[in-house]
Amino acid sequence: MRSPRVPSLVLLAALSLGGCATTPRAEAPPAPPPPPPAPTQAAAETPAVPATVPARPLRTPEPARLVVQANPASPLVSFRLVFHTGSVDDPRGKEGLTALAATVLAEGGTQKLTSAQVLETLFPMAAEFNASTDKEFTVFAGRVHKDFLPPFLELFTDVLLHPRWSPQEFERLRTRALSDLRNGLRAEDDETLGKVALDALLFEGHPYAHFVGGTEKGLESLTLEDVKAHAARVFTQDRLVIGLAGGVDEALQKDVVARLSALPATGAPRVELPPVSTQGGRAVVVQKPTLSTGVSLGYVTPLRRGDPDFFPVSFALSYLGEHRQLGGVLFNELREKRGLNYGDYAYAEHFIQDSGTTYNRTNVARTQQDISVWIRPVVPVNGMFATRGAVYFLDRMVRQGIPAEQFRLSRDFLLGYTRLWEQTDQRRLGYAIDSLFYGTPDYLEQYRAALAKMTPESVHAAVKRQLRPEALNFAFVTEDAEGLAKQLREPSPSTITYASPKAPALLEEDKAVGALPLPVRPDAVRIVPARAFMEK
Amino acid sequence: MRHRFIPLLLLLMGVALPVAAAEPAAASFFPYPMQVDRLPNGLTVIRVPFNSPGLIAYQTVVRVGSRNEVEPGRTGFAHFFEHMMFKGTKNHPEGEREKVIATYGFDDNAFTTDDITVYYSYGPTAGLGKLVEIEADRFRHLEYSEPSFQTEALAVLGEYHKNAASPGLKVAEEVARTAFTKHPYGHTTLGYYDDIKAMPKAYDYSRTFFERWYTPDNVLLVIVGDFDDAALMASVREHYGPWDRQSGSVTVPTEPSQTQERSVHVDWPQSTQPRLVYAWHTPAAKLDTANAAIQEVLGSYLVGPTSPLYKSLVLDKQQAQELTPDASLHRDPSLFSVEALLSDEASLAPVRAAFNAAVKELVTGKVDAARVESIKSNTRYGLLMGMETAKDVALQVSWYAGIYGAPDALGRHLQKVSEVKPSDLVTFARRHLTAANRTVLTLTPAPAGGQK
Repeated sequence: MRSPRVPSLVLLAALSLGGCATTPRAEAPPAPPPPPPAPTQAAAETPAVPATVPARPLRTPEPARLVVQANPASPLVSFRLVFHTGSVDDPRGKEGLTALAATVLAEGGTQKLTSAQVLETLFPMAAEFNASTDKEFTVFAGRVHKDFLPPFLELFTDVLLHPRWSPQEFERLRTRALSDLRNGLRAEDDETLGKVALDALLFEGHPYAHFVGGTEKGLESLTLEDVKAHAARVFTQDRLVIGLAGGVDEALQKDVVARLSALPATGAPRVELPPVSTQGGRAVVVQKPTLSTGVSLGYVTPLRRGDPDFFPVSFALSYLGEHRQLGGVLFNELREKRGLNYGDYAYAEHFIQDSGTTYNRTNVARTQQDISVWIRPVVPVNGMFATRGAVYFLDRMVRQGIPAEQFRLSRDFLLGYTRLWEQTDQRRLGYAIDSLFYGTPDYLEQYRAALAKMTPESVHAAVKRQLRPEALNFAFVTEDAEGLAKQLREPSPSTITYASPKAPALLEEDKAVGALPLPVRPDAVRIVPARAFMEK
Repeated sequence: MRHRFIPLLLLLMGVALPVAAAEPAAASFFPYPMQVDRLPNGLTVIRVPFNSPGLIAYQTVVRVGSRNEVEPGRTGFAHFFEHMMFKGTKNHPEGEREKVIATYGFDDNAFTTDDITVYYSYGPTAGLGKLVEIEADRFRHLEYSEPSFQTEALAVLGEYHKNAASPGLKVAEEVARTAFTKHPYGHTTLGYYDDIKAMPKAYDYSRTFFERWYTPDNVLLVIVGDFDDAALMASVREHYGPWDRQSGSVTVPTEPSQTQERSVHVDWPQSTQPRLVYAWHTPAAKLDTANAAIQEVLGSYLVGPTSPLYKSLVLDKQQAQELTPDASLHRDPSLFSVEALLSDEASLAPVRAAFNAAVKELVTGKVDAARVESIKSNTRYGLLMGMETAKDVALQVSWYAGIYGAPDALGRHLQKVSEVKPSDLVTFARRHLTAANRTVLTLTPAPAGGQK
């Protein structure tokens, strides 16, 4: 079942502050990076870094590995089938195939039940069942009250084992995927558009580059036969981890494992991801009619969970701007003090908000990670200033570290806040399954243990090793793309005017922010019309 | 810290009945023990022990929303004011509260609706004592400067901008603006764009707004999770007890009856799926009537995933991509609506005809009783599925208690849902789902032109 893509009237009433080729494809090695832009002060202190981020494979659990988090007292049962299969498995020219295959399985009915009958079966149970795809992983998640366990289990497994492959359902869901791209992504959600544009920029020529939901040409080319063949090759036992939580007993475990043993044992070989350039200084400006300018910035990093510097860097970026929390440096400096926009956040690994929470989705693990900063839309006249502000405060943290009092507060915050990340069965399963791939058992416990041992000095040392403002790349969504591109190519100081008096110290700091050279190369600024974004 | 929760299984077993089972007693619709006290100053304090070791959810519900924005030019003010509640007091100047929140790691924020404003903190029980202190302090002694007020107005403008790319905001604005001529439900919670841009000039009004609505008799505290009740209440009495303001009153205009169908069309300047909305004026949510419960069932009955309309329009003919009901609770008479996200403009006429036919069938008395039972089961199990965490429970309690103004409103509302009969849908539809009482919105992408 799918959440409505379009906000309903009731949702709008509540306002908060708040590929891959099925065979490995040979990728041309990235072109050697051009000379880097003028480094910021921080860059001068950072050690030399490799020109590319290699594709160091994630760990591979044994086929159909079972992860159980039983709580016999719970009347609810959670299922989480995680396949190491994602949009990287989309064949060239058929971008969107994996996500569409997952959707057709989840929503297209089974051999016994039409899609309408599936809905009729699930509805009185209020059972939850959905599929989600990211770059390397696809999750089929289900949740049901134990009163309905037998019929739900049959349906949940039939979806994968005995899909209906209805041509009508295929066409309906392919049409919807095209609409999600043409309308949802390109026109109706500037924030997501900016983030996807940054992904495309950072991973140009790489299987991560295209929108998980597909490209226009890719989706147009897909057939039901493509989907059937693809599903058989990528939703296989050797790619699967089975998660069960809540009211789970031995019998249920055996039943689920026995049923899923009917999946193909193996299928397509794993995609070999190419190394990714670490070059910075590129910018893409997506042009579309819009009231404001959205900004995303980031770069590809070899740093990922399990690396010694991951926890301290993750901590530092939480200090800079934990997703949708009010205490971060960026939030306070750009929104609270300057009123620039609705929020500003920073991330040590790829972040996708888990629906209904402010926490990162689980099972969006990636072999090659990105560090990013998200500036929510600002009025166009302040676009450059806000961008410079984000880089300024990132750079300041890299140069100066975190003051002792703020260090203590941020550490205390995460020691408590991380406990909220594991409050549901689905999220606990998600973390446990991610840990298999990253090789990080008890990830959140390990994070809290690491937090307890961190010092401002140890964090600063890791930050200086890993955070590189000069490596940033930029994605903008704005109406006057030519004007913004001109400002990027021919930079001049940014000024800002306020509707209310500001402290002299802030105005003085604004001069430094406005004069900050952005690490953007004039020859690496591109304009892309939104209507052509992810065309092919 | 004493753990005074009741095992989840025992609590849920009370309502873990199969669909065909007999109706349970009303009290079991909310399956947790609830304690309620009302302080002499009128503050209502609702506590629900819940199995969340070491964690609590703390919510403050203020019964104020865009419904209360009766003065011209003040649309969106309740939401804007929600932002100001994070700006500090004499005891805890701006930024100090965030330090307390950070010390414990609370997930801390707020939201505003047409009728209520909810402030929430979710995190360690260890911080509960301090939380009571700082929350009471800001609700009693909020202070902020005019420059701070003016700066925050820009953040709110940014919030409007981030939502403006979606046609959904425009649809909500135009349906409200067309359906209401007097009542403040005629604007969305965000407010009119021009009013938002003018907010920096409303500093003095903001003080009036605070004094008028942020009063103990207009507020409910909802605390769910792992806590010592006696210690909590002692702290609440100490810190909230001296709060002695009385809520003000304004006359919320009554919306006159609609006597003729209204329509509005939006030419959307970008590529999008066309939309069709039918919205009817319907009665307020009151615990002495079944109107809200009937609307909740009716929304699913007409366009839910098991409705004939969904099967026909979305699955078979594929003339719509989504069908969405809106039967949300409101303190005053509001709207019941159904919305279709259309496949293309050519689908507009047949979907409209299908909407009309579905309503006509209902008013002629033809009701599928089995589907009504299925919807009631969905509502009941949906509540259980939706109460996995202390925050989930607190949010449910806050929402219903805030709208209805009664601490036990959630259970009582669900009891009413369980009592909805097929004939209730017919009676309701005959009375309210009439053409004269209807507002119709169409939206089409401008390049293709629009149908009026």
